[in-house]
Amino acid sequence: MSVTQQALAVGRGLAATRSRRHVLFGGLHGADYVWAIAFALPYAAIFLAFVIYPIAFGIWMGSDPALYDQLFSDPRYLTAVVNTLLYVGIGVNVKMFLAFMLSGFFIRKRWWIKALMVIFILPWATPALPAYMSIHWFLNGQWGMLNNILYALFAIDGPTYLNEHWSGLAANISAYIWKTLPFWTVILLAGRMAVPQELYEAAAVDGATGLRRFAHVTLPLMANLYLVCTLLDMVFALGDFNATYFVSGGGPAMSTEVLATLGIRYAFTIALPRLGVAAVMSALPLLIPLVILLMRKLRMSEGQL
Amino acid sequence: MQRPAPERPANREGRAALVRMSRRTVLRGTVGMAAAGSLARPYIANAQAKTAVCWIGQGFVQQEDVAMKAVCDDYMKASGNTLDYSIMPFMALNQKIISALTSGDVPDLFFHDAPENFLPQYAWDDSLVDVTDVVAPYESQLSETAKLCSTFYNRATKKRSYYLCPIKQGATPFHIWGDLVEKAGLKMSDIPKDWDGVWNYLKQTQAPLRAKGMRKIYACGLQITTVGPNDGNNLFRHFLIANGGEAIVTPDGKLHTDDPKIREAAIKSVEFMTNLYKEGVVPPEALSWNDADDNNGYHEKLFVMDFDGTLSTELAMIKDKQAFYHDMQVLAPANKNDGTPMKTMLNAGGGMIPKGAKNLEVAKDFMKYFMQPKVMNENLKAGLGRWAPAIPQIVKDDPWWFSTEMPCLKPYITEIALNPTVPLYNAFSPAWGQCDAEQLWGQAHADVIKSNMKPAEAIDKAFKRCNEIFAKITI
Repeated sequence: MSVTQQALAVGRGLAATRSRRHVLFGGLHGADYVWAIAFALPYAAIFLAFVIYPIAFGIWMGSDPALYDQLFSDPRYLTAVVNTLLYVGIGVNVKMFLAFMLSGFFIRKRWWIKALMVIFILPWATPALPAYMSIHWFLNGQWGMLNNILYALFAIDGPTYLNEHWSGLAANISAYIWKTLPFWTVILLAGRMAVPQELYEAAAVDGATGLRRFAHVTLPLMANLYLVCTLLDMVFALGDFNATYFVSGGGPAMSTEVLATLGIRYAFTIALPRLGVAAVMSALPLLIPLVILLMRKLRMSEGQL
Repeated sequence: MQRPAPERPANREGRAALVRMSRRTVLRGTVGMAAAGSLARPYIANAQAKTAVCWIGQGFVQQEDVAMKAVCDDYMKASGNTLDYSIMPFMALNQKIISALTSGDVPDLFFHDAPENFLPQYAWDDSLVDVTDVVAPYESQLSETAKLCSTFYNRATKKRSYYLCPIKQGATPFHIWGDLVEKAGLKMSDIPKDWDGVWNYLKQTQAPLRAKGMRKIYACGLQITTVGPNDGNNLFRHFLIANGGEAIVTPDGKLHTDDPKIREAAIKSVEFMTNLYKEGVVPPEALSWNDADDNNGYHEKLFVMDFDGTLSTELAMIKDKQAFYHDMQVLAPANKNDGTPMKTMLNAGGGMIPKGAKNLEVAKDFMKYFMQPKVMNENLKAGLGRWAPAIPQIVKDDPWWFSTEMPCLKPYITEIALNPTVPLYNAFSPAWGQCDAEQLWGQAHADVIKSNMKPAEAIDKAFKRCNEIFAKITI
């Protein structure tokens, strides 16, 4: 090997070491590296304590296969799974569609629409518990406001909404939609506001107005945001127990129970928290693909909002 | 090529600060703090040895909380120990207790009015400290139900022991709007003594009241609920007892659904309740009530009578003088349907010590103090008698408990302290708690009302599930 070759080999070795060092230390040296670690440590500790540890603890709590035998032998479980799918599927999609439509309404610049927006946002601002309890009483078949209005206007006694499976489930889903619709409307409204006006002006020059403008400009630009919002809300809805617990209470005869309320009942009504965690963990086959899809969507860098 | 050194702050003071905060300085500081911590630790530990952390359930009326604080303060003065206590609402306390026992990060004492939802399970799992030594000095004075409601089976030690230091007990009386009964042309004094008779008599109030313009009023606040968590189960248990089926679970933790007498009692109970519902004297929504709905409805005079635990129904309206002192009447169940005295089901509340409690001795010492009859009596009287003492002799010795100052008190205390009682079945086996949690009895009612099942079929279905649950928890 010539001297030049030897020198080059040493150079390559040094470069490789530097490269490894760059990867390991991020190009930092000495005290800078120590300071970087010192600053990162609190965040790492918080992440470990509040994200990794609870998840690992939850997985550990629900890790005994015997729990799932017990869970699957409970006649309420299958009902809860079906209800959860209906709750998430209908609740999220109907809400996101309504939110999308309403965001188109609220983007208008008239003063009374702005005033209406303030009222519209109120359900989101109201604390969940009293709001859902009010709905429970609002729907009471005997003394609820809804049936009293029906009687006052038409002299008819309305049905007992919370005594039937389908109307009870519909009440829970409607309450969930009512509570969270303003939030997603505002998010989608912000998305619409971010669409450059020039695009609309260009579309108008090309003769695209009304529905065509919506189909060819708004919809393609909002599609990604809409999908991300839908996925996020599905994750939220899967874990939501407030609406079911406080509106129908899971009744009648536990027929409107969802996995989240079933888990809470196991954990805090009969002190079987591990079974409660197992009930919630059984939703993971649905939850994990949703989260993966969400992450993939968030990583996309297409020309969309 | 050497990488250029990163830019340092141009600010002179900033640079100086960075130079002073060297690695060595940080290391030196850390070592110093660790040393100080080690030296200080024994003193901190000594201070903690005299301090017990207590989680206490909030009362239904403010007076209960004031009374609880007074007991804690008096104990601290008398003993020199410190109680670091927190008073929190019922559901929050339940959740905190279960979370603490699950994670292992526990306080030194839980004080709970109605721990039956979690206590049998945690005693079974060996998560609580055996408090037999605390209870022993007072054991002979405790009511039989208080003893049974405080002893639970531990599957690790394979024996029953005390896991609750009982202080208070509660029963379920009838709550009746006396003024509505009179308005309907009936008399409180004419209410029959037998169990079914009470319901049958009071259901007659509905028609005359509606005829007088009360369009939406119902006679019976019967919690035939399928939602729970507690009221519907409690109602079914009392019907079962009234029909002669009280031995459905025995103190040995065995289930006796195969006993024809018990099956018959359960069928009669479901039949009677579902018939009341079908007759239209019970609000249709009762099938979906939660535990607060009957209280709210009763307070609004939406039905004439309710059957619900403790005097919280009356005490909630203590500021309404007319209602509290005149209109609201409390009636203790008198006889079963066979004419023998009715046995009321009682629970017990008090202190529990979790395993892992750091200051066990202070917690035990506090409970020893609290279990003294005088202390117990003053605390429960100050709480307006919503709960009765676990030592029945106390109410016999103190005329306050049977005074007529509060009209609701005398019949309620009679029910607890003088009438025959039985403990909650949860005390016998944690499996019963699971049957309750699945709302098996409410489900049986729904099967009859909504699916037109015969009461016998509905009970057989509920009993089948009950047996499956009990088969998994054998004592």
